[in-house]
Amino acid sequence: MGPQDDFAATQVLVRDGDTTAQTPSSRWLDIQFTGSGSEYFRIWIVNLLLTLVTLTLYWPFARARRMAYFQNNTLVGGDPLGFHADPWKMFRGYLLMLVLGISYWAVSNFVPEFTWVPFLVLMVLWPALWRASLQFRLRNTSWRGVRLTFKGDLKSAYLAMLPFFLPGLVFVFTMPPLDPEAEVVPETFQTFAAIFGFVTLAFMVLAPWLFLRIKRYQHGGYGFAQERTELQVSGVQMYGLFLKMFGVMLLVLLAAFLIALGIAMIAFGTAAFTGGFRPGGGGAWMAVIPFVIVAAFYLAMPLVLGPYVASRTQNLFWDNTRSQRVAFQSNLTFRSMFRVNLVNLLLIVITLGLYWPFAKVRTARVKLEAMALQMDGDVEQWLAQAQKQEKGVLGDAAGDFFGMDMGL
Amino acid sequence: MQPGGPLVTRWFDGQHPRARSVRVRIEGDELLMHTGEEVRHFPLKEVRWPERRSHGQRQTDLPDGGMIQHADAAEWDQWWLAQGLPESAVVGWMQSWRATLASMAGTVVFLAVAWVWGVPWLSQTLAHAVPETLEARIGKQSMEQMDSLFLEPSELPEAQQADLRRRFETVVQRAYPAGDAPAWQLSFHKSEILGANAFALPGGYIVMTDELVELLNDQPDAIVGILAHELGHVQHRDGLDMLVRASLVSALVGVVLGDASGFIATVPATLATQSYSRDAERRADAHAAEMLHAAGISPAVMAVFFERMVEEEGDGAEGAAQGEGAADEEEGASLPIAISSHPDHGERIRFFREWGR
Repeated sequence: MGPQDDFAATQVLVRDGDTTAQTPSSRWLDIQFTGSGSEYFRIWIVNLLLTLVTLTLYWPFARARRMAYFQNNTLVGGDPLGFHADPWKMFRGYLLMLVLGISYWAVSNFVPEFTWVPFLVLMVLWPALWRASLQFRLRNTSWRGVRLTFKGDLKSAYLAMLPFFLPGLVFVFTMPPLDPEAEVVPETFQTFAAIFGFVTLAFMVLAPWLFLRIKRYQHGGYGFAQERTELQVSGVQMYGLFLKMFGVMLLVLLAAFLIALGIAMIAFGTAAFTGGFRPGGGGAWMAVIPFVIVAAFYLAMPLVLGPYVASRTQNLFWDNTRSQRVAFQSNLTFRSMFRVNLVNLLLIVITLGLYWPFAKVRTARVKLEAMALQMDGDVEQWLAQAQKQEKGVLGDAAGDFFGMDMGL
Repeated sequence: MQPGGPLVTRWFDGQHPRARSVRVRIEGDELLMHTGEEVRHFPLKEVRWPERRSHGQRQTDLPDGGMIQHADAAEWDQWWLAQGLPESAVVGWMQSWRATLASMAGTVVFLAVAWVWGVPWLSQTLAHAVPETLEARIGKQSMEQMDSLFLEPSELPEAQQADLRRRFETVVQRAYPAGDAPAWQLSFHKSEILGANAFALPGGYIVMTDELVELLNDQPDAIVGILAHELGHVQHRDGLDMLVRASLVSALVGVVLGDASGFIATVPATLATQSYSRDAERRADAHAAEMLHAAGISPAVMAVFFERMVEEEGDGAEGAAQGEGAADEEEGASLPIAISSHPDHGERIRFFREWGR
């Protein structure tokens, strides 16, 4: 290797056909995913065995390896993302989460009247844990040797999360005593029902806006060198997306209902034709209809609504995430997500689940390769900010434990 | 490139997103990096090497926050392996299909062992480790919950209740001559939702519905047999046992399936829990048969009960006819055996008819 091609991988792919106002110095960086299903399968199986025989103690090491695999195979402009977390630190966080999780399980099963104590503790700590998990994840991710950062502050984390807890608090404080000895006053229950209905309705109406606040906090805190991203999505866009998703859900429901009706009618017709009109025979078929509807719904939801939501939210949030000199672009189509989901589901069923790691890799490829970055100026001249002390291991464990992640 | 010789690669200093060409080699317990201007020394112990894989670039973390990034994975691996540095065995396994298949077999064996011995042993141990006072508390709470949701006061005549209670007490005394029967507390309730049903809760609470007593009005021995079955659940602490088992099973399924979709994950967990539930029912049936036998009643009296249940369900009495047993059953007996919480009636009739033969 001579000094000339040292920078070969650093070359950026310049898009020729792009006619949008592109300053001469702005460049497009494509995202490529080079992970392989068969390799991830081997990683997955070995990790799984080790996790099982160590009674899950190996889990943080498996997780570190999995994250490293996915990030090292994500090439942004030809350079991979690095993953640098120390698995032993993740192990400490995991032990803490394990203790908390088991205590929560024990309390909620054995002393259910005190379930609210760990629940309240979790609620109070949750925004801080969430932020810590984002910090940990970003700080341990690098591109071209420079660590990413998460710059969202603690106060904003609480402000973004707090509205989600308010309905619960309102219920707790307005709920009439459920003491069986206490005299039941119908008016109290009516008031409570009214409050309950109102708060639930208000929450549903506000949900898109609250969700947007969460996303604004997340996508407004990503930092690289001197850059800090922000999310430029308006409430109108957010409500528009929610309405569309709601519409698609109704369509799926309607389709599931019609399909089930069709199947039931065909089956009923056949039964009547071949078996004559046995008494009670029709009743049995009628009883099956709801099950067929539920089954069709459960099949159609992940297949149709899932890809729709995944593609539209990724596009809305990443296409509108930008900093001063970096802009993201996301062109994830419903069709590609639908295709990959359908194939994954079929193959997972056929292989009794063994296709699962391949499915993960395929999905990651479709999602990641739909994205690109536009960078203004010469990135090589940028300078990283001083790194701060490493902390927030617990947050990372908590984030994964409860299924929170960066969203990509 | 000679094995063991220096490797030309790219280095990032951690401050600038800018690659620089460097040469690296290993000498003694140090990694030497020639930047062209100077030679930097890093102790090998503090360098974090990448794991060997077939895909992706190689990134090596240096102790000063810098990073060596090599795009040609094969070239890097060749250089690195030539240095004779120790590598984790796990990395080798993940590159070998043979080791992968062995891990798969190991996983299957582990899950099978956990299924047959591990989970039952652990849940029994934990269930019996729960102090009785705590178990009584849990039972009391579930009882109150059941009471407010499904149960109404019994409409059976006091005399009939007292008679059944007395019969059962006699059987318990004969079956436990040493007086070591678990504590139990029997109550009758009317329940249109549960229909003909009986269940046991942690802490020895046994509930039988008026509807079940009416179904077996002429067969008090069969009623006593059902109560003996419930006492079997109490003695084995099946309520707590199933609680622990269900949690263990879902934890196990969670580990195996990872972040697979929630609905998909509930299917194996439910099937497994129901299978354990059928085992518990068979154990309680055996307990009932032994108790009846000890009290001088033929276990075959129980066959009548199941025959009537079959009849009841055959009549198409929707939802009203449920088997006896744990409180959580929603499904009718017509469900295939794999998803039912109870063994099928035919099997249980045979069990009680042929008991002791």
